[in-house]
Amino acid sequence: MSELRVLISDDDVMIREVLKDVLDAESDIAVVAVAADVDETIRLAEHHRPAVAVLDVRMPGGGGARAAREIARRSPGTAILAFSAYADRASIAGLAAAGVTEYLVKGAPNAAIIEAVRRLGRQPPS
Amino acid sequence: MDDARPPGDDRYRLLVQSVQDYGIFMLDPGGHISSWNAGAERIKGYSAGEIIGRHFSVFYPPEDVAAGKPVRELEIAVEQGRLEDEGWRLRKDGTRFWANVVITALFDEQRKLQGFGKVTRDMTERRNAEQALRERRRLVGHLVEAQEVERRRIAWDVHDESIQSMVAVGMRLQLLASRLPEPHASAVGGLDESVRAAIARLRGLVSRLRPPELDRHGLVEAVAGYVDEIAGRWGLAHSVRADLTAEPSPEAAITVYRICQEALSNVHRHARATRVDLTLATVDNGTLVRITDDGVGTAGGDAGNGHFGLIEMHERAEAAHGWLSVTSTPGDGTAVEFWLPILPDVPGLEP
Repeated sequence: MSELRVLISDDDVMIREVLKDVLDAESDIAVVAVAADVDETIRLAEHHRPAVAVLDVRMPGGGGARAAREIARRSPGTAILAFSAYADRASIAGLAAAGVTEYLVKGAPNAAIIEAVRRLGRQPPS
Repeated sequence: MDDARPPGDDRYRLLVQSVQDYGIFMLDPGGHISSWNAGAERIKGYSAGEIIGRHFSVFYPPEDVAAGKPVRELEIAVEQGRLEDEGWRLRKDGTRFWANVVITALFDEQRKLQGFGKVTRDMTERRNAEQALRERRRLVGHLVEAQEVERRRIAWDVHDESIQSMVAVGMRLQLLASRLPEPHASAVGGLDESVRAAIARLRGLVSRLRPPELDRHGLVEAVAGYVDEIAGRWGLAHSVRADLTAEPSPEAAITVYRICQEALSNVHRHARATRVDLTLATVDNGTLVRITDDGVGTAGGDAGNGHFGLIEMHERAEAAHGWLSVTSTPGDGTAVEFWLPILPDVPGLEP
């Protein structure tokens, strides 16, 4: 089974780094790129075409929703996992409008994050 | 026998002369004072002997006299039958008082002007009291606003900085635990649990400081969400019934939310209730909210003793130009009812 290639995008440096370490610790997952804002996220997603992009909902440059829309256009094979500090309905609705259906609230156990990345990465691209 | 017929001139004169609270006097058609009473003497400081025969413009401040106000007021009274005015007038000693003045033109049966009746009230104290009240409401309004701004700032700081950092720490601890042998793994796992609990508490704090639903979903969702969360946590049966036909302004909405928070917290702390019910309705261009519980019903008594939460609720409602009332029957629960106008405060509309 080939490695699951993952892009991480978060404007908080501590979250970025630990998320990378958590996912890289899994033998079947490889973090191929890390972005700190929306434009960088879009550029890196187009360049690397990862299986999964883990996106912060609130990021400088238009937020996770804009990143999700652009990734869907430029790298249609990339599945998106929203990783958000917000658990409210409005944030979820905003992402759903951008085509994001997988949603984890920051603070979810690492195991749940890993499990969600695997589930999204292994499903056939729609 | 006397009682059966109308009082004579003497008795009317006695009545008018004795009234203390109103200056009641007459002017001749040219505006010269022709009668005087005790109230006028008390308010203006002139005795009848000093003032009768003088022109009534002596009561007006120089700027009004220069602007022709006394003469104009008589002209309007002649045209329209009467004139009412509020403004500054002068006492004999030159000090000013805030007067309510009614000038009535007096015509005889041939519609010939006989003079004017003038009734003057000293409104200075009322005006001062009203101004003090307005000023107080303005200050409370500013205070409430400043408090909201500060709460929002704290909420963002906690949310964006502290919680994010703690989430990262928790993830790091879990990663560390997965690499450690026992018993170290369990110890670190315990630390992660503590961090997780702290994050949950901070999230609760953030949503109390600045409920996100209020910004995005409006009042009813925010209040309903809060009641669900808080009454659920306290084990209170609860219901929220909302029938809003108009969404209040953001300022009014936050005030409604804060008063609900305070009222519910009172139910929790003092009422020993088993259930709490909340209704919101649009009434008279405002939002009417009723919060009832089935507790011991002592909150009303606390109001008289200056219970802080109740004072704060009253002040919030009044600063938003609404009202709040608390009815409490021992053994029969407490009802907090308040109404706030939907429109934000427009200072220009105040009298």
